[in-house]
Amino acid sequence: MFSTTQLNERNQRTQGLFRLLFLMMTWLLILPVLIIVSTLIYKGGSIISADFLFTVPTDGMTAGGIFPALFGTVWLVGVALLASVPIGIAAAIYLSEYAPDNWLTRVINLAIINLAGVPSIVHALFGVGAFVIFFKFGTSILAASLTLAIMTLPVVIVASRESLQAVPHAFREACWNMGATRWQTIRRVVLPNAVSGILTGVILEVSRTTGETAPIMFTGAAFYLPFLPESVFDQTMALSLHLFVVSTQVPNVPEALPYGVALVLIAMVLIMNSISIAFRMYLRGKKKW
Amino acid sequence: MKSSNFIPTVLLGAAVVFSGASQARTVIQNKGSDTLVNVAQAWAEEYQKVDSDVAVAVSGGGSGTGIAAMINGTVDLANASRKMKDSEIKQAKDRGQNPVEHVVGYDALAVFLHPDNPAGTVSLEQLKSIYGRKGKAEKWSDLGIKVPGCDSDKIIVVSRQNNSGTYAYFQEAVLGKKGKYRSGTLDMHGSKDVVDLVEKTPCAIGYSGLAYATDHVKMACIEKEAGQACVNPSVATAVDRSYPIARPLFMYTNGEPQGAIKDYLDWIMSDTGQCIIVNKGYAPAKTVSCE
Repeated sequence: MFSTTQLNERNQRTQGLFRLLFLMMTWLLILPVLIIVSTLIYKGGSIISADFLFTVPTDGMTAGGIFPALFGTVWLVGVALLASVPIGIAAAIYLSEYAPDNWLTRVINLAIINLAGVPSIVHALFGVGAFVIFFKFGTSILAASLTLAIMTLPVVIVASRESLQAVPHAFREACWNMGATRWQTIRRVVLPNAVSGILTGVILEVSRTTGETAPIMFTGAAFYLPFLPESVFDQTMALSLHLFVVSTQVPNVPEALPYGVALVLIAMVLIMNSISIAFRMYLRGKKKW
Repeated sequence: MKSSNFIPTVLLGAAVVFSGASQARTVIQNKGSDTLVNVAQAWAEEYQKVDSDVAVAVSGGGSGTGIAAMINGTVDLANASRKMKDSEIKQAKDRGQNPVEHVVGYDALAVFLHPDNPAGTVSLEQLKSIYGRKGKAEKWSDLGIKVPGCDSDKIIVVSRQNNSGTYAYFQEAVLGKKGKYRSGTLDMHGSKDVVDLVEKTPCAIGYSGLAYATDHVKMACIEKEAGQACVNPSVATAVDRSYPIARPLFMYTNGEPQGAIKDYLDWIMSDTGQCIIVNKGYAPAKTVSCE
């Protein structure tokens, strides 16, 4: 047995102190989330009802529900996914499985990182110039969703590439040795093993897309629309913009209304994230390594 | 086989989404002034009952946004709380648009003060010395006013962002054609934001459309010349033009309005349409009697 020396004790104390410090910092992270969610529930919870979720706004948007905005957000996110997921996954597969390590690949990787760093308002103005005016889509769901898709593409590409690269290389080598082609290997071995990570990326994209306001403001979202969109060439209302509108633009709004809209918005995002976490845990349980 | 169905399914899904483009409904694009946006919304909401085949899509963003969209040809009706400048009309014509102006109502710009502020009347000259670049008034005591709760005595000057029609009109009406705003104003991005801020800030003064007034804020009675009787902002004083800071509100169409757009504008100018703008706190473009 070794007897504890003074130095030993001091080290133990310091170690304990730092552990406590880091623990407190971690708790500090949870605090804002708790405060935001509880304030929203306290101030806006009373307004949430089936009527609120499924009727149209009335009386100059100071009464009634939020259905067109809720419906519009689902449209925007859906079309954005349709555009960005196939492109994003294809790009990730190329970068992870096929791309040689040369200057072109490095330029592509650099471009992806830079794309992720572009502020959303710049994406918005790009969307106006490219989709609304140049491609003549007009202010429409298509223009707004494509803008969102470009903005969130890096998230999908990076998440998918990481999870493809996390599949052990030995799996691929085993497959090639059996005479399988690269594509067969990707299709049968790599993709099934990477799907949980890819889905995480996709769902992260969904929750980010749901909350964005700037990129859709000029490209497809309307202040008020008396109908539900029927095609991608229609404009739409959206939850995030609706929250901005009822909290800053419309006078004499009952106090609970903006809080209620914010609560629905944050609930959508939190539910998405929870599904993603649950799904990932389920798939990880099935992993073979 | 399961895997071979993936790509056709995606294509089919896309086809379903993209095929809905045919429609019987006519959509009128209406964009611009934040001052008009709430009236525009009310008109759009009410017009559903008049003609359910016509849908009016309303967006805000400011008069500048609406006018830019008119120049780019991406709107049917551009809302503006100021006239289009000659340079803007020329730009529009160069791009093949022909903006035609319609006055749809009038707006009195109210000067808002914190309810604790004892000042009841403000003259245009005082406003100029508060907002103008060469203005002398920086403290409330410079105007001979002591505001309870405003310990610093400094006037917090609340203004609007510079693409706002309200900003442009207030500049013209108060500071004169060549007058400039002083630097250091708080520029808010919406009429309602101005009122919200003044409501909570004893030191503040701000301006916004009369329609944005609430019970928690005070509106100054405006003296055109110092010593003259002051005029309170109201729909009535805007209609009879006795209130000095009232301005016309415009909708611009591309060429003379036709078809559904003409019907909609005609309805806006009808008694029903004009009573909606009155109910929202603006003055009508013509005399109407509403309940």
